[in-house]
Amino acid sequence: MLVVVTLAIFGLTSAAQPHFALQGNISFLLASAMPLAVVAVGETVVMLVRGIDLSVAPVLGIAAVSTGFIAQDSHVSVLSMLPLALAIGIGLGFVNGLFVTYARIPPIIATLGTFTVYGGIEQLICNSRTVVTLPTSWINLGTHDFLPDVPYILVPGVLVTIAMALILWRTRWGRSIYAFGANAEAAFRAGIRVKAIEISAYTVCGMLAGLAGLIYVVQVGSAGYNTGSEISIQLQAIACGLIGGTTLTGGKGGVVGSFFAAIFLTVALEGVIVAGIAYQWQSAGVGVLLLVAILIDAYQNRQGRSVSEALRSVLGGHKPVQQEASS
Amino acid sequence: MSVVAETQHVVRRRRFDTDDRWMISLVVLLVAELLYFNFGISTFWGGGWGTSYSFLGYGESFLFTSMIALGVMFVIFTGDIDLSVGYMAAFAGIMMAEFHIGGMNIWIATVLSIALCAVIGLIQGLVITYFKLESLLVTLAGGFILNSAAVAWEGPVPPYGFPHSYDSALGSGDISGTIQIPNQLIVFAVLAVIATLVVHRTRFGRQLVLVGHNRQAAAYAGVRVSATRVKAFVLSATFSAVAGMCIAANYGTARDDLAPTLLLTAITCVVLGGVDIFGGGGRVPGVIIATFVMGWLAPGLLQDNVNDTWATLIAPGTLLLAALTIKGIVDRRQGVSFRAKTLARFGPGSPTSAHADAGDAPGTGAT
Repeated sequence: MLVVVTLAIFGLTSAAQPHFALQGNISFLLASAMPLAVVAVGETVVMLVRGIDLSVAPVLGIAAVSTGFIAQDSHVSVLSMLPLALAIGIGLGFVNGLFVTYARIPPIIATLGTFTVYGGIEQLICNSRTVVTLPTSWINLGTHDFLPDVPYILVPGVLVTIAMALILWRTRWGRSIYAFGANAEAAFRAGIRVKAIEISAYTVCGMLAGLAGLIYVVQVGSAGYNTGSEISIQLQAIACGLIGGTTLTGGKGGVVGSFFAAIFLTVALEGVIVAGIAYQWQSAGVGVLLLVAILIDAYQNRQGRSVSEALRSVLGGHKPVQQEASS
Repeated sequence: MSVVAETQHVVRRRRFDTDDRWMISLVVLLVAELLYFNFGISTFWGGGWGTSYSFLGYGESFLFTSMIALGVMFVIFTGDIDLSVGYMAAFAGIMMAEFHIGGMNIWIATVLSIALCAVIGLIQGLVITYFKLESLLVTLAGGFILNSAAVAWEGPVPPYGFPHSYDSALGSGDISGTIQIPNQLIVFAVLAVIATLVVHRTRFGRQLVLVGHNRQAAAYAGVRVSATRVKAFVLSATFSAVAGMCIAANYGTARDDLAPTLLLTAITCVVLGGVDIFGGGGRVPGVIIATFVMGWLAPGLLQDNVNDTWATLIAPGTLLLAALTIKGIVDRRQGVSFRAKTLARFGPGSPTSAHADAGDAPGTGAT
């Protein structure tokens, strides 16, 4: 369903602006959706345990500037920076998990607090410098395709999504995440270590945000003191999770939807710009999409039907059920 | 507080004791902070108490944040949250400035802008209660829409150039040459008195707290829950708009980026002031003291030659997390399970007590 809408937007925009569908642009769109997609996959895991993580933006930023500065100064390879990016994410995500689980601060407030603190750390690391001159190997990785229209950047995004989807569906840990999100009581009685599960969800989310930071710096080629927070990637990631069918009430949804939602959001926002609407309205666009997503989420909860079913009934000319939804 | 106190006598009395202790700790914290800065900052007293260049008399740097905090406090009392307040303040300032530049009398523009912001708050509240949505997300989305609107409206050159009397009255002016108390302090004092009276002395205030304490009980007691929540959002938007006017007057310009960062500070003030983030508990005077603790912290640290990032981002964020952690421990000692409230607050639809027990059980085992 989401893929269809995305293709429709893409088709419409290319019809209006022929250069939108040029080969390079498809590849660029896919590549520029990847940092968001990876963050959204992590955010989804937290949403599955009925949490929310606003601090992913500065986590992404810290990973981006730390790896970027090292690459800029000593020309290391991208892969050698991978452990650092992951470690940063794991550490910061773990701290989030501690605040939520042991200090028992509601996730939104805890991560709003760490959002500021991490944002401060990001500024301290930057110390009024910016990442601007990355080694050529990094730039090439960020801009080249290995097949027509398939950029290198797409690979880690797809791999992470498939891996997380399999882990969530097939492993004991993944099932525990769903169990905890759906019913913490039942999960606890079933012998699941609920605190460990909750912390691990935040840790995984942080880890993926760190990875996204590395992907971001490779793809964009620059990073600064407000990377991540400046485009409110945390809000976009939550919107992606909701659009992709994950609920805020936990236990329902999956990462594949979030992945496609990230591509959808990127194409839609790009479409807004190409359509000639002023750049300033982009943040309002995210806000409106988020509102629509939570309205659908609420509708879905009340109706017990999935988004695609609901949309199909509305779009397919069946009798809309909005009357009941609003009552 | 009559209704609640009579029905839940034991619990409420304990809670009020906690509130008292929390307020005393806040006063101690404030005194300690001021003593520390007294030794660290040469301009602490300036030319005497309350002079415009003394540290103590310089309230313009934080009083508008305190106003936003008072506004968002109403919403937090009902157990909701309003993340749009910062954007609302910025938008209000730009709206007023654009009206003024369009030829309107600046005071009429001010009143009109505040009224329009109240309407925006009303819309947000109605969307939240009518569609039964999470206030967090609606106000987050609303904030981003307001931000876009503000950026688009102000254009490439933010509006500036208000009459001097306006800048002085709401901005950086003092009462008179001899008694140099900032005018903003008067505005804040008026709002603070209104807020205190509304919450602690009116029927609406008691309903506000009851709705936050237990929505279901409030409904059974005949309180119009949705209407009370919507009113809180209107009050929040109104207070933010007033703060937005003060910000615009203080800087002599209205810009989209002057206010949004105040959101976290404002929420920190409310939480630090002892208001329960899940609603239904706390006192307005605590919030007022907390705004002064927070308000003098960043400028004080800055004048104490602390790094800018530490003073404005890391210290407030850490203070928020520390305050909540301590509050959580205090609440748990009082037998009120913080975890149970977390799950009740963020659980699906109506809270399930069984659910709360589950999350709580391993915790009580561990501690």
